[in-house]
Amino acid sequence: MVPSPPSGPAPSALVQGLIQDPARPARRLEKLLADLGPQIRRIQGDDLGVGEPLRCCPTGLAQIDRLLGGGIPRGRLSEISGTLSSGRTSLALALLASTTRNGACTALVDRADGFDPRSAEMAGVDLDRVLWVRALGWREALRCTERLLETEGFPLVLLDMPPSVEKAGRDARGSTCWLRLARSVAQTQAALVVLSPQRLAGSHAEIVLEMQPTRARFSGTPALLEEFETQAVLVRHRSAPVGPTTSLRLRAHLSAA
Amino acid sequence: MRIACLLVPDLPLRAELRVHPELKGLPLAITSGRDSRAEVLAVSPEALSAGVRAQSFVSHARAICPELRVRVASPAADRAAREALLDIALSCSPRAASAPRCMGVFAAEAGVFLDATGMTSLFHSEQGFATALGARAKALGLPGTVAIACSRTVAQLAARAAPGHEIRVLPPGSEARFLSPLPIDLLDPEDRLAQTLTRFGVRTVRDLLRLPQRALAQRLGPEILRLIAQARGKEQETPLPRPTETHFREATDLDYAADRLEPLLFALRALLSRLMERLELRGLACGSLELQLRLSDGGQDSRGIGIAAPTRDGRVLLRLLALALEGKPPGAPIEGLALCIEGRPLRSDQLDLFRPRGPDPAVLDETLAELESLCGTGRVGAPAVADDHRPDAFAMKPFRLRPRTHDASHHRSGASEAPFASGLAVRAMRPPVAAQVWVHRGRPERLRSAVANGRVVRSAGPWRTTGRWWAEEGRFALDHYDVQVSDGTLLRLCFDWIAREWRIDAVYD
Repeated sequence: MVPSPPSGPAPSALVQGLIQDPARPARRLEKLLADLGPQIRRIQGDDLGVGEPLRCCPTGLAQIDRLLGGGIPRGRLSEISGTLSSGRTSLALALLASTTRNGACTALVDRADGFDPRSAEMAGVDLDRVLWVRALGWREALRCTERLLETEGFPLVLLDMPPSVEKAGRDARGSTCWLRLARSVAQTQAALVVLSPQRLAGSHAEIVLEMQPTRARFSGTPALLEEFETQAVLVRHRSAPVGPTTSLRLRAHLSAA
Repeated sequence: MRIACLLVPDLPLRAELRVHPELKGLPLAITSGRDSRAEVLAVSPEALSAGVRAQSFVSHARAICPELRVRVASPAADRAAREALLDIALSCSPRAASAPRCMGVFAAEAGVFLDATGMTSLFHSEQGFATALGARAKALGLPGTVAIACSRTVAQLAARAAPGHEIRVLPPGSEARFLSPLPIDLLDPEDRLAQTLTRFGVRTVRDLLRLPQRALAQRLGPEILRLIAQARGKEQETPLPRPTETHFREATDLDYAADRLEPLLFALRALLSRLMERLELRGLACGSLELQLRLSDGGQDSRGIGIAAPTRDGRVLLRLLALALEGKPPGAPIEGLALCIEGRPLRSDQLDLFRPRGPDPAVLDETLAELESLCGTGRVGAPAVADDHRPDAFAMKPFRLRPRTHDASHHRSGASEAPFASGLAVRAMRPPVAAQVWVHRGRPERLRSAVANGRVVRSAGPWRTTGRWWAEEGRFALDHYDVQVSDGTLLRLCFDWIAREWRIDAVYD
């Protein structure tokens, strides 16, 4: 029994044909593809680059690199999220140290204005190879990030969002900015890493690593902050199973002042 | 010793045509002033064929040629043209010097001397060398006459005597034969001396050299001796210097005061084009750039443009200038522009097999300028640890591409697998966040702030830091605590003894 066409605007010729001859839709589809001709391209399975390994920026932390499958992928947007005192800044500085140690230049778009050169130097970052951009507003930060991605020669670009959840969320309201950034970085060989208090990039991020603080240890007399332990959870990975975690122990530097 | 002389007989005209090439082909007169009794300094060939002559009055010239274009000589353009002449000379020889300025009949003349000794090894012959020199001068809009002789005086005289833009090479030993028939006027004597010699019937160099030297000196003074030495081609001359000056300047006056960016960029583009030509002649690139603006209210605006690496890319420099003007517009309309460049050797960056290639210096300059225009001055650069005891002190310096230096302290092979993966980093709070702190027995007990709230679970400290106690401003006295709050935040709490307030200046993250 042929179903009656739905009410509304008249269906196209193809749809009408399918309705009249529903038993041979594959033949109709082939005819349509032939009519479209050069406007479409038949993609074979290997054209998708499935399984093609992405170049990575190693973080310098073996546990994290193992978790991520080599490091932060280049040509993709990645996100490291976590609340204050979750260890995301320490992880970011380790990534900067690893990249600058190899002689590469890096860029940090500091929307949060929280970069501490002394702390970075202690982490092993070559400060001469870091371009620090202290953006005043979100639009400026976005434009600066895009400009740095257009300028070839920075294999790592960090975008540090404000630590306040409300402020970061206000900045990044709407997903078009993340889509723009994801598309911009896809045309480059750079790795774009967003540091955020909560997940902001959504599905536009290739990798999302969530930092969850575990404990802080004070010891000695008088008491001194000795170490800090945090857990890194892989909550999103486009081409690997999610869920694995790894623990990081961070040593506090002796002088706080 | 062989000396070449490049002589431009009508420099005010050539200087004006360098700045305003659209006037080429028109009857043009360059004058000393704007009023009708101003003197015509130089005329174009079209004005010359219409009957206009140099050293006449403007009113007379206008009467002869009604369609005559009259422009006042620009000292800035004149100076730039003379410097360009020297650049042309230095592109052919390492030793060169500008000819002294002349007065009277030769006031519009500009010349440059250069050491032509040994040039045959580069240019096959002195004729070839002179041809190349003339061609370079013509390419830069300063066509002139080239002459090569044994001394500066003879070379200059030969260039003056050569008709049109010819080349004249005087073989060694032929100076006397060349100089003899020349009129005395070419030696440019003082007016009084020239009149006296004319009364004596001395018209050529031959006539002058026939007279007894001592008797002439007794009657006419020591000036005649210099003239005789010039006539013999044996005037005492200092060796030509090897200039090390690498400062280039081009300037222009706008026809009307400009208050928009587009006409300024048009003028700047022309200035940059001339400067790049001169830099290329000298084998140099732009190492630093300074823009000087003359404002309509009488003020001056001078600004330096930072450049990451020497470049000859005019497009990049123009973009940097545009960004500088957009970021900080001048306070009044602009009447005149000047660009000053410090020339530096073009750096060739040898790539390292083991080091990733950094950003292109020319593109990096543009990027840095754009970032600075977006974020503000002083907010883009490389971070540096300040030499200061304050924990929140930091510095920024210009971001420059530097070659990698091998430093063992930075070298760690492979990823860290030690018990401690890394150090605990600090995230600065700029500005510091005010906090309300309840203290019990000298230690913080509860905390309320925009960053963290709750009970203080653990604390370490205080660490006291004081400094600049000798100064009225900038003195500080701080007590720092490492504090863990019940909401999980690890932060650096600070009590300011001078402001008597608590604040959070960093968070461990």
